[in-house]
Amino acid sequence: MSSIITVNELVKQYEKAKEPSVKGVSFHVNEGEFFAFLGPNGAGKTTTISILTTTLSKTSGSVTIAGYDVEKDAQHVRDKVGIIFQQPSLDPQLSAEENIRFHACLYGMYGYRPTFKMMPAEYRNRVMELAEIVGIEHALFQPIKKLSGGMQRKLEIIRSLIHTPKILFLDEPTQGLDAVSRRSLWEYIDNVRKQNGTTVFLTTHYIDEAENVDKVCIINHGEIAITGSPDEMKSSLLKQELVVDAQDKDGLIREITNMGLSYHVDGHIIVPYQDRTAQDIIARLETKLTVLKIQEPSLEDAYVEYLMRTGGGAA
Amino acid sequence: MSELVLQQPKIKSRAMKELNAVATIAARDITLFFKSPGMIIMSLAMPLLMMGMLGGSLAQNMAAGLGFNYGKFMLVGMLVNMLFMSTTSGISSLVEDHFTDFTQEMMISPVSRYSIVIGKIIGSSFGAIVSLIGTLVVGLVMGITLPVSQILAVLALSPLMCLSAGALAMIVIGLIKSNKMANLAVMLITMPQMFLSGAIIPINNSSGVLFVISRLMPMTYCLDLVRAVVYAGTPEYDSVVLFNPAVTLVAIIAITVVCLMIGTLFFARSEKNK
Repeated sequence: MSSIITVNELVKQYEKAKEPSVKGVSFHVNEGEFFAFLGPNGAGKTTTISILTTTLSKTSGSVTIAGYDVEKDAQHVRDKVGIIFQQPSLDPQLSAEENIRFHACLYGMYGYRPTFKMMPAEYRNRVMELAEIVGIEHALFQPIKKLSGGMQRKLEIIRSLIHTPKILFLDEPTQGLDAVSRRSLWEYIDNVRKQNGTTVFLTTHYIDEAENVDKVCIINHGEIAITGSPDEMKSSLLKQELVVDAQDKDGLIREITNMGLSYHVDGHIIVPYQDRTAQDIIARLETKLTVLKIQEPSLEDAYVEYLMRTGGGAA
Repeated sequence: MSELVLQQPKIKSRAMKELNAVATIAARDITLFFKSPGMIIMSLAMPLLMMGMLGGSLAQNMAAGLGFNYGKFMLVGMLVNMLFMSTTSGISSLVEDHFTDFTQEMMISPVSRYSIVIGKIIGSSFGAIVSLIGTLVVGLVMGITLPVSQILAVLALSPLMCLSAGALAMIVIGLIKSNKMANLAVMLITMPQMFLSGAIIPINNSSGVLFVISRLMPMTYCLDLVRAVVYAGTPEYDSVVLFNPAVTLVAIIAITVVCLMIGTLFFARSEKNK
């Protein structure tokens, strides 16, 4: 798989800032990959995404998107990307549909027409289809200022997908969305990825949304803490845990200790293990168990542990 | 979940894409104009204030002894002045776009920064044309009129005037980040031009610093070109027209292109360099 985003030693120091927000970051994203860029508030995620999408200049380093340099070939880069910004970027005085039409025409999807009815049927159908997916079809012709924050977010999502970009940057895309809309959005984005091979670059605070990505990159204090698949991250950092209990609790603890395993009691007996399998442990237990559970660490567990290892969360 | 259909841009050529982007950005400003009763009222009230009150007062008190009809001189000046003022004011809405983060939507699009700026100027010009029509109506009420052919000539030149005004405004507005500063900038750009370029006060006898400033102002040349067209073949021509129209046209184009390049550069850099 070829690399579609390549970032090398990227540094960004804002004017008047005492130190860089992004300090020599390097990573790459393969074509068609679902990439999650995670980090606490102020870690440098939005700064990095702004540089990648050509809306912010870098201080040093190199960034190429689809083979184009973000500074020298910015227009080619913009041709390839779509973005849902962290901060809403809608015109509050236009209607929802007018905002979408503005975007579609700006991207050359359709020639501009002054009304929705005058736009081609293909555009009208697509807008209605997308509006239905995120559930704003009834609010399509209302002014933005009358829509709730969640509805505005949904509208931004529709807008960013209308031109089917090769790389889709999602900066906190589900912030302010209810659970049903979040699920619906992820189903749609999955569909977009499968059918178009779209590369998705995601930043999110909902770590569970990154559980199914291909690659995770954690940034903290402007530096990359780790890059890898969610499974690699979980297995390299965290011990899995076996949760067991028995009527003869003392007997069970004796057996666990005899096997050379550590444990702690938190309601049930919790036995961390890393170098052996759960099957191996259970097979050697003779005490009759009343509780048996294998606790898999979540990506969020791994994420928090990495942040702790790299100086805690950014401010 | 409905089936996804892969969409491809319908406009293939780069030039057509840029033109479509200019039209789209301009159309947004025109849509906003019609959605804002305040803007419509202001566009019509400004001619009343500028032409009716300021111009009327000047006509009554200082028109004597000029050697030409001050009413017509002032009407032409006010027409160009309204184009400059309204376009500059329209361009200042870029600051509000920045405030609502809408500039991000434009900056991320795959179109030339020049297309964004030109689209914005054309959109802002719409309000300017409404003000121009308002000025003609106020002039009519005051008994100051122009023949239809001359009105059409002024209208034909108005896109160049608006582009020149917008390009100049971009240099300042592109760097500003607050609405308060934007309002001050509009005053800073338009007021000196109104008084020093010859819109309402003849500048044939300007000298020193004021002379130099008047020659640096795009509106001086825009006004002179319009007056050259309106006064062509009349005895007053030599009294009201300062330069050769061909030279004036070249000067306007040169100043506009330079301002457009600098303004676009400033606008793009101010959005990107933080």
